[in-house]
Amino acid sequence: MMLDEMQLKKLLRLKRLEQPPPGYFDRALSEFHRRQREELLRRSAIQIWFERFVSRMWGFRVPTYAYGAAFGAFVVAATIIGSGVWAPFTQTVETASDAPKTGSGSVGLNLDWSKFDRSPASPRVVPTLRPSQTALPRYVLDGRPASYEASFSF
Amino acid sequence: MDDQNLPDDETLVRRTQNGDTRAFDLLWQKYSPRIYSLIYNMTANHDDASDLLLEVFAKAYRSINGFRGKSSFYTWIHAIAVNMTINFVKKRGRRFQMSLDDLDANVQNDKEFIDLTSTNTPVREVDLAELQHRLNEAMMKLSVEHRAVVTMFDIQGMPHAEIAKILGIPEATVRSRLFYAHRQLQNYLEEFRKK
Repeated sequence: MMLDEMQLKKLLRLKRLEQPPPGYFDRALSEFHRRQREELLRRSAIQIWFERFVSRMWGFRVPTYAYGAAFGAFVVAATIIGSGVWAPFTQTVETASDAPKTGSGSVGLNLDWSKFDRSPASPRVVPTLRPSQTALPRYVLDGRPASYEASFSF
Repeated sequence: MDDQNLPDDETLVRRTQNGDTRAFDLLWQKYSPRIYSLIYNMTANHDDASDLLLEVFAKAYRSINGFRGKSSFYTWIHAIAVNMTINFVKKRGRRFQMSLDDLDANVQNDKEFIDLTSTNTPVREVDLAELQHRLNEAMMKLSVEHRAVVTMFDIQGMPHAEIAKILGIPEATVRSRLFYAHRQLQNYLEEFRKK
């Protein structure tokens, strides 16, 4: 006859009686304290701080209200920028466009731009073609110099 | 201090988090016998159980600032103990020595023991100390995960739901592991009885 379920359970429950000798847990607690002290002496303060920091980080949870707050901040920022109340790049653009008229850029104060035939705060350097005195006259057709047209191009 | 008169776990944990080491000693007093029993029945070795008990509480002490109280301290420390013991047993592999103590002398007066041996059961037919030894051997033949479930349910009397929380598995898995483990234990003990 096989051990039935109930008999097996009773047999297993007897294992609760397998206990260490009396006084074991008090001695083990003393040993625990001794090891704790030893560990404290062995480890530097930085190690202990780092371990606690890592432990806190593992336990850290982003609070639910933080998501709402972040979304709210995004909406406010988007509204302000979208409505044109505040535009972070406007001033730079104006400076660039106003500079040629006034000629009062910070760099332009020290330089005579007429020598260079260029505006002092030109936003882009555009190469210009000027006919030289010695070169043969060239004709521009449809935006391209005629001399650039290939002879076999129809 | 008697366990009944101890402050509740939440208070003790909060005091420990605030640096009161005496509060952690009270948590030790409250839980070390249960944790020891859990480890002991999973490792089947007194020395290993003693070492692991200290390591489990050391880890709990180091990590207690990260404990947020989403589960009970009881569940939390049991989860630490089970995970550490499973890792230990897997690392140890087959290198283990049976050193389970003989049944306590009090067992002779235990009601279940008397019930078990007074009637004409298969248990009575064999030497009881030997049977206990065989039961321990049979336990060690179970996988460590199955042993953990048998220890918590049959020996410590925990409910399925609590075991599921500790192991982080569904309750149905706990039940199926228990069913399978019981079947295996019955088979091992039956083989022994036939010898």
